[in-house]
Amino acid sequence: MTLEKGYVMRPGENGFERAVGILEMVYKFAENVSDEAVEGAANFVFPELKNTVLGLLELPANRDLEIFFFQRLLELFWEAQRAQSEGKKLIFIPFTFPPELFWAFDSLFPLCTEIVSGAIVNICYGQGERFWDYAVSLGLPDSLCSGNTIGIASLLAGPGLKPDAIVYNTPGSCNPNAKIHAFAADYLGVPQFILEKPVDESPRGREQYYKYLLRFVRELEEWTGEELREERLREVMQRAYRAVDLYNEYWELKKARPCPVPNIFSMTLLVLRSQMWGREECVEVLQRMVDISKERLRKGEYTAPEEVARIYISYIYWLFDFYNYFTWMEKKGISILGDILAIHYFPPIDYSSKESMLRAYADIAFDYPMTRQMGGESISLRWVDDICYAAQDLGADACVFGGVHACKHTLGTISFFRRELMKRLGIPTLVLIGDVFDKRQTPMEIFQREVETFVDQVVSRKKAGRRRK
Amino acid sequence: MMMAVSGTALEICEVYDPYVREWKEGGGRVVGYSCVATPVELIEAAGLLPYRIKALGNPRTDLADGEMSLFNCSFCRSCLQLALDGTYDFLDGLIETNGCDHLRAMFENWQHNKNLPFFHYLKVPHFFRDDSLEYFRRELELLRKHLASHFDAPVEDDALKRAIEDWNLVRERWRELCSLRELPEPRVTGSEALALELAGSRMRGQDFAELLSSFIEERKKAPGKKPRARLMLCGPATDEVAWMEEMESLGAVVVADALCFGSRAFLHRPGTGGDPLEELAEGYLTSIFCPRMYKEYDKRRSYIMETAKRAGVDGAVYLYNKFCDLHGTDSVLVRRDLENSGIPVLVLEKEYSAAADLGRIKTRVQAFLERIGGGV
Ligand code: SF4
Ligand code: SF4
Repeated sequence: MTLEKGYVMRPGENGFERAVGILEMVYKFAENVSDEAVEGAANFVFPELKNTVLGLLELPANRDLEIFFFQRLLELFWEAQRAQSEGKKLIFIPFTFPPELFWAFDSLFPLCTEIVSGAIVNICYGQGERFWDYAVSLGLPDSLCSGNTIGIASLLAGPGLKPDAIVYNTPGSCNPNAKIHAFAADYLGVPQFILEKPVDESPRGREQYYKYLLRFVRELEEWTGEELREERLREVMQRAYRAVDLYNEYWELKKARPCPVPNIFSMTLLVLRSQMWGREECVEVLQRMVDISKERLRKGEYTAPEEVARIYISYIYWLFDFYNYFTWMEKKGISILGDILAIHYFPPIDYSSKESMLRAYADIAFDYPMTRQMGGESISLRWVDDICYAAQDLGADACVFGGVHACKHTLGTISFFRRELMKRLGIPTLVLIGDVFDKRQTPMEIFQREVETFVDQVVSRKKAGRRRK
Repeated sequence: MMMAVSGTALEICEVYDPYVREWKEGGGRVVGYSCVATPVELIEAAGLLPYRIKALGNPRTDLADGEMSLFNCSFCRSCLQLALDGTYDFLDGLIETNGCDHLRAMFENWQHNKNLPFFHYLKVPHFFRDDSLEYFRRELELLRKHLASHFDAPVEDDALKRAIEDWNLVRERWRELCSLRELPEPRVTGSEALALELAGSRMRGQDFAELLSSFIEERKKAPGKKPRARLMLCGPATDEVAWMEEMESLGAVVVADALCFGSRAFLHRPGTGGDPLEELAEGYLTSIFCPRMYKEYDKRRSYIMETAKRAGVDGAVYLYNKFCDLHGTDSVLVRRDLENSGIPVLVLEKEYSAAADLGRIKTRVQAFLERIGGGV
């Protein structure tokens, strides 16, 4: 199968380049964009992009932030495109790999596979479908994860960006993720570097992980010919920890009722964490997110007349239609408090030596979302513990499991999870199965209908019952 | 659920079959495991019977479906079903391994529901290196201790060495069996080999070696028959003998395989000279020819190519269960590489033991055989 070029793909371009090309429009927005300008922009573009534009910009509270954020993201994408000509090695990493380590190498440029997928899906005409279909036409199973397969397929499909290596840390925590990254390396004939997390939460497991990390760093050093410098690592980790302070504030703000943090910030945080952590622009964007949320809290601002439900997404968001997911829920008075990818554990860090910083990094990566739970000694128990913690701490009324058909570990333990969550916190879970990046699995209309019914029938009634008692 | 390899003396019985029943009735204890990365020698040296979890074609999954989703491997759901409906209640313990996401979920549900008194998680690294080997060796040490303390059965070095020797003999016999399969006029069919592996994977090593020896002796004397097509079968843990028989009824003989319930289970070669745990760790970790291992595709490819060439196959079938990401992804590379070396490949994705799939699959195999010149 060859990819149809159509009117959106120019010669020499692929999904990523096309997404970057379209994204350039964020530079055309003036400061303080008006409602009319947003409406105009939304009507000017094709339907998929319209939902992205509206999802990011319709609500005034997010508007300036999202423009600022996407401008920074675009600049980073441009850097990725220039990286190889500037003598850097371009590596693809999954969103389970804390990127700060790679930013500490001057000769590496890490591009997150899932962010590439996300850019294609939310910006390009036809979303990621052509790339997903291309992957399946190669014979890859359709049970893989669109989150990474779309980005990888766009690499394999033809012209455009090609990585110098594939780097992943998902053996042990996610088969589809690890396999598609391994496949890409084997298929493209580029080196692959792996960091395995043992499914072992004992001190021995952590120590082994740290040993693997040291070996991994050494392999990268040999490959790049660059030694990871203590000074540079310190600089990056200090910046990463400035973001950690802001993340902690952000978490606290989510506890307020009604939740002052706009729903779309959940997506923003995810992109920051997976792609930009350790860079200055990450700190800048997070600072603005915190400031905006604080200001809303101070003014008592909330998009809907009242907060009807506080929902914790028990696995991951669906990310193919920002408007009909994040904005729709916000307008309905459903606050999204987070998903599994929003639960981070940052240990105290000692900046005194390279080893001490790598120790902290090893702990961060060991407890990184998805890796921690799905690579846990017990998937179901670790998962349920962590969601219970987040849901309780943030005051969730209910959970929505927007399952992804690829996540065989969560799908294989969801019944236990649901029962256990009810037993421990008395919180109901709506189980939906769809796809993170492919609307053909479960369209947004169905998602909305199910969530609306669930909130009306289960959550609101339960709250009303509590009030009556 | 009875199974037989029709036309042979081999008989594979129910999950809880007479061999295991007799062992239990004699006061023996049985420990279940699933993955070929589990050193059965350790279980056996503790005086226990290692039992490889299988579903023997069980098509029912209704109870398991209450725990796992329809997006999970139906083989795992079939096995879980047998745990939930009590078929596996004869097990005294279970060893989990991190084979694949489905299996891990299966084990967790099994344990949540059955709460077996002995449940051990053997953590198998996903690549072979000096540091992962050291870790795996320590894992074996932990398993040894756990077995010993729980079953009050110390695992002595001598007993372990004996178990290694017994299982090495099994592996030797298996290779002999394979050479009978690979003859121009094979003396053993693929279904028979699979049935033997199913029988042996619930036996003590010594008994299994004897079973293989007598089978081999008998077959050495029997005449072979030139098949219409010589096939290699690659894929995961398929224990569906009936399915394989159907495939062979179309005129082909599966003369070689790279299956998990099959030749891939016999590739470990722990040495006997040194520290037995070290020998086991290295013997096992270097020989897991499974797509769960990373940065080892080249090794898997060489193994498959060499086997295919040695057996002179006309074509290969890569068969895997729906939703199996590990094999589904590897199958693309295997097909590419085998076809590049002139061996046609048919990739089949199917549901485990689904009668509805059989007709469809037979038609595809039939067409494939015609393509490679071996159709009936
Ligand atoms: S855990 Fe699920 S969403 Fe995450 S990479 Fe794996 S399959 Fe994709
Ligand atoms: S067939 Fe695939 S999915 Fe099923 S248990 Fe085996 S490796 Fe796992």
